[in-house]
Amino acid sequence: MKTFKWPPMNADKRGSKRIGLSVCGLVAVVLYGQAASPEKQRQIASFEKVWTTIRDKHWQKKPGGLDWLAIHAEFYPRIEAAKSDEEALAVMREMLGRLKQTHFGIFPAAVYNDVEGEGGGDGSTGIETRVLEGKAVVTDLDPGSAAEKAGVKRGWVVESVNGKPLAPVIEKLKSDPEIHELALERAVRSRLMGLTGNAIKVVFLDGAKAQVTRDLMLGQERGQTARFGNLPPMRVFFESKKFGNTGYVRFNMFLDLVRVMNGFGSAVENCMHCDGFIIDLRGNPGGIGGMAMGMAGWLVDKPDERLGTMYMRDATLNFVITPRAEVFTGPVAVLMDGSSASTSEILAGGLKDLGRARVFGTKSAAAALPSIFERLPNGDGFQYATANYISEGGKALEGLGVTPDVEVKLTREGLLAGHDAVLDAALEWIRKKK
Amino acid sequence: MTRRTIVAAVLGLASFAFGQDEPLPKAEAILDRYVEVTGGKAAYEKRKNEVATGTFEFAAQGLKGALTRYSAEPAEEYLVTDIEGVGKIEQGMHNGVAWDKNPMIGPRIKTGAEKMQAVRESTFNSSLHWRDLYAKVETAGTETIDGDLCYKVVLTPKEGNPETTYYSKKSGLAVKTMMVAVNQMGEVPSEVFASDFKSFSGIMEPTKLIYKAAGQEFTLTIMDVKTNQPIPADRFEPPAEIKALMNKAADKK
Repeated sequence: MKTFKWPPMNADKRGSKRIGLSVCGLVAVVLYGQAASPEKQRQIASFEKVWTTIRDKHWQKKPGGLDWLAIHAEFYPRIEAAKSDEEALAVMREMLGRLKQTHFGIFPAAVYNDVEGEGGGDGSTGIETRVLEGKAVVTDLDPGSAAEKAGVKRGWVVESVNGKPLAPVIEKLKSDPEIHELALERAVRSRLMGLTGNAIKVVFLDGAKAQVTRDLMLGQERGQTARFGNLPPMRVFFESKKFGNTGYVRFNMFLDLVRVMNGFGSAVENCMHCDGFIIDLRGNPGGIGGMAMGMAGWLVDKPDERLGTMYMRDATLNFVITPRAEVFTGPVAVLMDGSSASTSEILAGGLKDLGRARVFGTKSAAAALPSIFERLPNGDGFQYATANYISEGGKALEGLGVTPDVEVKLTREGLLAGHDAVLDAALEWIRKKK
Repeated sequence: MTRRTIVAAVLGLASFAFGQDEPLPKAEAILDRYVEVTGGKAAYEKRKNEVATGTFEFAAQGLKGALTRYSAEPAEEYLVTDIEGVGKIEQGMHNGVAWDKNPMIGPRIKTGAEKMQAVRESTFNSSLHWRDLYAKVETAGTETIDGDLCYKVVLTPKEGNPETTYYSKKSGLAVKTMMVAVNQMGEVPSEVFASDFKSFSGIMEPTKLIYKAAGQEFTLTIMDVKTNQPIPADRFEPPAEIKALMNKAADKK
């Protein structure tokens, strides 16, 4: 039986044998030295980390239906033979590709840096952006934020931050097929953040296509600080209002469980006789999966309905909806975009599959699985999923996402004119349903 | 014959001899012994209610909380676990209605196998009443748990999945239970490890319970148990949201 440990057994034997040959002794030492170089050690250690993680944590005991031990035997010599980090990365990506499953990827350290930016800190300008036609366009402004006070408008394009243009970053990230809209949005967002109290210089392109510079003081992000176990503290906002007789809720994460669930419940309870109810999940990357079930319980009256099913290695969990004593039975619209992920997709996809909601906007992030990011010994990022999730309609959300019933895209022109085309479409549908 | 084969043969003979000389005790005897070693029938019968307090820890997720469990004859229960970042998770059993209310999923009434599981768990002095709770019990062998040789007892309830409990041959205490836990999300194979038994009002109870399920592990630590307390009469009343669901169900009938 082959054992897998560092240094690799076969490398050791090979080296020893060569050292034993007096004539070729020096060559052998050099070769052995090459095999055990720090770079090679990192590559092999990273490979082993990826391989053993899939072996131990994949939701299938036989990952992807593959003989995972045979996969090791096939790829290990190739990692040993890899002449550079790029080659080693390609080998590991090919190995993960055999799974034919999304949410398994390796991100080079350089891409990590592109996404994360250089700033650090949780101070915010209050600007929300989406990349529309290759440009970072302001789609929303936090009420009372520095950007709003400085007169920044929806529809403006963020051209540069502290003298660094965004276009090259966006172009580079968009060219990597592994990078999705969610990561793109995160890359832009991270550049608009920094240490609270510091100022950043942002150059915009305004509605008249003129460059406008604003020095924006970074303040606390919108919402309240929420804590959940080992997760870092995060700012969570929950917004509830009415457009005429249509209820509307929006929250940036499925966290701050008690406040968000109570807020959602109160919004529905106060809207039992509304014409419709809108859940705006645009930009919501998810959070605690169970909250989707609790929210659906305010909207689905039939017992034992499910949003979907999560398959783990040791258990199968049904996302069962428990109807509340009083349930809203009118039309429900869910707004989504490419930055709506995970629990957002579970809720939207499940309600859509049950025929309980109509989804407006653009396709979601297709990132519904509980996945973990870890750094490999060579500095690359390794993402892997620990469960599979199938929405009630029988489709995996992972890799496919939630396709809207009504596709509506935001445009810079629409935003400049003060329109939210996605919200407008949902309101119009509810008006017609009345 | 190699040395290894000899050793194996000797071990095989030894286990055969063990099997011959020491037939497995009947499950009934093991369960009754548990009652004896934890305090005896009389001590259990003196106990009419109990208030237990302790802590909950889900270390991998960094979640911690405080728990209080009120229980009383015949099968009344109210358990509240207050976890930072999650809120109050409440569950109870009152007059045969098993319920659960948590800030994430909301209020719900348990039915079917989940309800029957709740009935078994809330039955006061359940160790004493195993004959009422299980249709069949049998000793299925021996197994070593954490270095402690245990009798493996399979308990088949009148309704629901069998449970397997391991009783220490030496102490008679139940050190591990394997079961398929049922909740609204489905059936989850679970293991519960019980340890650190301490005496409360003459009855030994485990004060550390480690639960392992679906790749996760959490720990309950019981700090104190008080018996025969003046528990308010409405302590076991379900909350208003549960009553509203009961009324809704009644209206639909």
